[in-house]
Amino acid sequence: MAIDGLIILDATGRPIIQSGFRSNTPAYPLLHIDALNNAISKSSRPDDVDPVLYVSGASTEASSACCHVKHGELRFLSPVSGDMDPLYAFAFLQTFINILQEYFGPISAETLKDNFDVVYQLLEETLDAGGHPLTTSPNALRDIVLPPSFLTKVLSVAGVSGLASPSANSHPFASPIPWRKAGVRYNNNEIYFDVLETLQAVVNKNGTPAVSSVWGRVDCNCKLSGTPDLLLTFSNSQNLNDACFHPCVRLQRWARDRTLSFVPPDGHFELMKYRYAPASTTTQHQVSVPFALRVAAINIDENGGTFDLALTSRLTTRPLENVSVELFLGDGAAGANCVASHNASWNFDPKTLNLRWEIKSLPPSSTFSLRGSFTSNTKNPRPARAFRILFEIIQHSFSALKIEQLKLTGEQYKPYKGMRGRSTGDVEWRW
Amino acid sequence: MSSFRAAPRKGENFELSADLNSEYREKRKDAIKKVIANMTVGKDVSGLFPDVLKNMQTEDLEQKKLVYLYLMNYAKTQPELVILAVNTFVKDTDDPNPLVRALAIRTMGCLRAEKIIDYLCDPLQKCLHDDNPYVRKTAALCVAKLYDLKPELVVEHGFLETLQEMIADSNPMVVANTVAALTDIHQAAVAAGVSQEVFVITPTILNKLLVALNECSEWGRVAILTALSRYESPDDRESEHICERVVPQLQHANASVVLAAVKVLMIHMRHVHSENLMKQLVRKMAPPLVTLLSNPPEVQWVALRNVNLLLQKRPDILSNEMRVFFCKYNDPLYVKVEKLDIMVRLAGENNVDALLSELKEYASEVDVDFVRRSIKAIGQTAIKIDEAAERCVNVLLELINTRVSYVVQEAVVVMKDIFRKYPSTYEGVIPTLCANLDELDEPEAKASLIWIIGEYANKIDNADELLGIFVDTFTEESYPVQLQTLTAVVKLYLQKPEGSQGLVQSVLNTATKDCDSPDVRDRAYIYWRLLSTDPGAAKAVVLSHRPPISLPRMTVAPALLEELLSEIPTLASVYHKPAETFVGRGRIGVDSVQRKSSDLTDDRLTTQKALQTVAAGRQAENLLDFDDAGADDGQQPSGLAATTMLASTPAEANLLSGTSSNPLDDLVSIFGSVSMAPAAQPPPATNALGGFGSPIATSTPSVLQQPTSPQALQAPNDDLLGLF
Repeated sequence: MAIDGLIILDATGRPIIQSGFRSNTPAYPLLHIDALNNAISKSSRPDDVDPVLYVSGASTEASSACCHVKHGELRFLSPVSGDMDPLYAFAFLQTFINILQEYFGPISAETLKDNFDVVYQLLEETLDAGGHPLTTSPNALRDIVLPPSFLTKVLSVAGVSGLASPSANSHPFASPIPWRKAGVRYNNNEIYFDVLETLQAVVNKNGTPAVSSVWGRVDCNCKLSGTPDLLLTFSNSQNLNDACFHPCVRLQRWARDRTLSFVPPDGHFELMKYRYAPASTTTQHQVSVPFALRVAAINIDENGGTFDLALTSRLTTRPLENVSVELFLGDGAAGANCVASHNASWNFDPKTLNLRWEIKSLPPSSTFSLRGSFTSNTKNPRPARAFRILFEIIQHSFSALKIEQLKLTGEQYKPYKGMRGRSTGDVEWRW
Repeated sequence: MSSFRAAPRKGENFELSADLNSEYREKRKDAIKKVIANMTVGKDVSGLFPDVLKNMQTEDLEQKKLVYLYLMNYAKTQPELVILAVNTFVKDTDDPNPLVRALAIRTMGCLRAEKIIDYLCDPLQKCLHDDNPYVRKTAALCVAKLYDLKPELVVEHGFLETLQEMIADSNPMVVANTVAALTDIHQAAVAAGVSQEVFVITPTILNKLLVALNECSEWGRVAILTALSRYESPDDRESEHICERVVPQLQHANASVVLAAVKVLMIHMRHVHSENLMKQLVRKMAPPLVTLLSNPPEVQWVALRNVNLLLQKRPDILSNEMRVFFCKYNDPLYVKVEKLDIMVRLAGENNVDALLSELKEYASEVDVDFVRRSIKAIGQTAIKIDEAAERCVNVLLELINTRVSYVVQEAVVVMKDIFRKYPSTYEGVIPTLCANLDELDEPEAKASLIWIIGEYANKIDNADELLGIFVDTFTEESYPVQLQTLTAVVKLYLQKPEGSQGLVQSVLNTATKDCDSPDVRDRAYIYWRLLSTDPGAAKAVVLSHRPPISLPRMTVAPALLEELLSEIPTLASVYHKPAETFVGRGRIGVDSVQRKSSDLTDDRLTTQKALQTVAAGRQAENLLDFDDAGADDGQQPSGLAATTMLASTPAEANLLSGTSSNPLDDLVSIFGSVSMAPAAQPPPATNALGGFGSPIATSTPSVLQQPTSPQALQAPNDDLLGLF
């Protein structure tokens, strides 16, 4: 189980950074880069390129496959040869992207170029020359590769680089717990939990959901000293299904009484993921969608069409925020002209041919409307059969998951605890 | 790419060289960074080797790392110069800082220069027993690299034994890396033909692995799980034990761990006999597979391909979860296609309504390719679930009424298959289909409609009129349409001789005189002879009863399925093809060599399997083919025979699907009847069979099972023999 390496391409398809490829010929990475660029330029929609590309080898080499993912404008690719698990490559790419984000925040071609020495060190630490991923836990990595910080810059300008080097910590991996570094000290002991739930739904014409499911994630930011042992109890945990966990969580405990018992890593990490399915059997585990879209009329004629939409919130206490309603107007769409109520904004993107209606905040039980027309260069245009609606609800969770109690053992202090809930939604509404 | 186009400016390297020799430390460090930057984008900076080497001895760990990086990159091209660095390396393996020790040993392992290797063994020995786990785990992987270069050194120094001991290391990371190293060495050894097993998993080691499994990183878990799937448990209880210990891995957040665990379970479940445990395992396997769908589309796709495969083996794992596979319109096409396939697989009487309303929805989308696949899926559903066939037909009718050209055409093709499965059931639909005659412009759709008209010629009042349209434009049509027209007109003539005499005469005339396809011409001749010698025989041949079709539950052959399942989650399982067919050498080669050495007959099996996959893959393109995999299995005596089999497959598929574009079609069905005929049949018939259509006939037992009466067949046989 090993991948061959990693290549990062910029928006134009040129390599920014690549790993060593020491056991392959120099042409090997180039073959893969070419294969991907070719595939992208050939396909009408770049997103439809198969994620695992077959790359036929040059005369002397065996064929291989190229796994690639897109992150922002960057493309990360990982060639694999032999009968490998492509998920392994994808998992590594995702992990590496997460590490880069942990180090540099949002990543772009510029940040990578500016910090190439750090990126390169990270690459060497995370991926062995034989293609085995090595250290990928951010906790352990920070011991060996210093994140670029203001301090290191100042120090290096001042010429006291010895201080800045991580050699001060001469016992990396001495911690008995692989995911947590030893000897962490904080003045203020704090731990924060973010519960983020995403509603993914497809709603039929008549307003009933064909499928709606809620995927939840508990992110944690832990700033606790020493080796704290935490016990987290939830209320409403009986509705959480299909949960998967960070390796620090003791699974037997969860199976027994649905509590999370764990020694957390230091810093940011994803504690658990789950699927929320309400218990009632009558609704087929469906979660109701917190709004209704009334499509009063969409009339298509020769050179365009008219439409009349109304979006009503079904929530009674909280507003829906950052709502965006998108409709693909079909090939050849040339423009649109709309009137939106309540000062909501709309725009037409001539590149993606999407009409987008944006509402900053939709108050509880209120109705906003949009009516207008669009023109098209093709006869009888065929807009998409569904609207795509994205929204956010602050301080809300579909599952009503709440933290009941957090017990800390193993250390003497009393930590400050915080919990935030946030819901987002990605709903497809057919008309 | 850029490396080849942009030649390094002479000035740049010159300047860098000056900076590397600067008396100021910062300037030197910046220069090294620039060198590395150039190196990473593929510019050639090998000329600076001596200058960079001078900066190797430094207290600054970061600088040291950068210099090491440079060395690793260029050691291959400058082996003599690397010798200069050896002393520093060896010294660094004694450094008080474990990071430096690990760095030095790792770099030495990566240099791949013969001359370095002799200096590597002693420090490696030391590092394998280092106090610091970071150094130990780095050293473990270094052994694998050394084995790659000089296996005898590894054996000589007893590194293999050391590694085996290290499986019991207190640090799980070390265990994981050790397992990875041993697996690599094992594969390399097998590839090199070393008879003695390098990495034997004994029950003791098994226990250690199971303990480490719960504690190491995700990559380590995958390595251990991969090792576990190789383990052959001596008894069933141990298999059950492994399954129980692996189950918790299904709850890991990393998708590759989940699928690796699924693989181990699928392999060891074969030995689980306890009904209860089996049920439990199947139940626990479903949720993580569903969870994989919340990942980005790339991961979803790989997961879906594997789910598709698992469902073929265990259709029960996701029986209640069809809704999660519903497509969103902004899913990438590759995800949608897999989801459609899985949805049809999961279709049952209880959820067919939801499925149909979904499929109807998809059929109104803009993406032509996806719409066609959705309509095909409706057809597959109709054929899979008898009770739902009528609902499917109604949905198809609604779609035909939209009058969108490609929707209508695809629906017509699908209807043809439904007519084949449920003959004489949905004749009421025929007028609607015929009303859309003018809109059809694709050969497949045309041929399908003509087939339907021909089949139901006696029930369509104006069949002669409709077919006349095609006869008029006969020479302009594509060959499949010509063949189908020909057959349909003959069918019409046999059922309604009055009034269609002229039509049949004209089509036979055109086909035999003006047509440039030998297939069409030959078929026309055969019909002509049949009709002129014995219309009764013609009736028995042309209007003979066709075997019913069913939906193949498997798109891959059962034997191949087993092999692929044991290779979950690898490329093989993603492509649904054995590794041998798409990757030649490399790590795959290793595997196949291993298989060969363990069992010589395996080799032949894999060729067969490969060919079967190709055949299955082609048939998957057609909507409704027979599950002839079973037939293929036993009947391929050798590689050569298998090849002929492959060549004949498309013809066979056509033959079976009834819309044959090949005159052999009718011949074979006659041959089929020959073998059905009473034992009095003279041997020459069998000879003719052998000489003519043997590969086809032997692999289509379904043809032989036609429920036709032997008496009726006697006549055509005589006739046919007369023909020869």
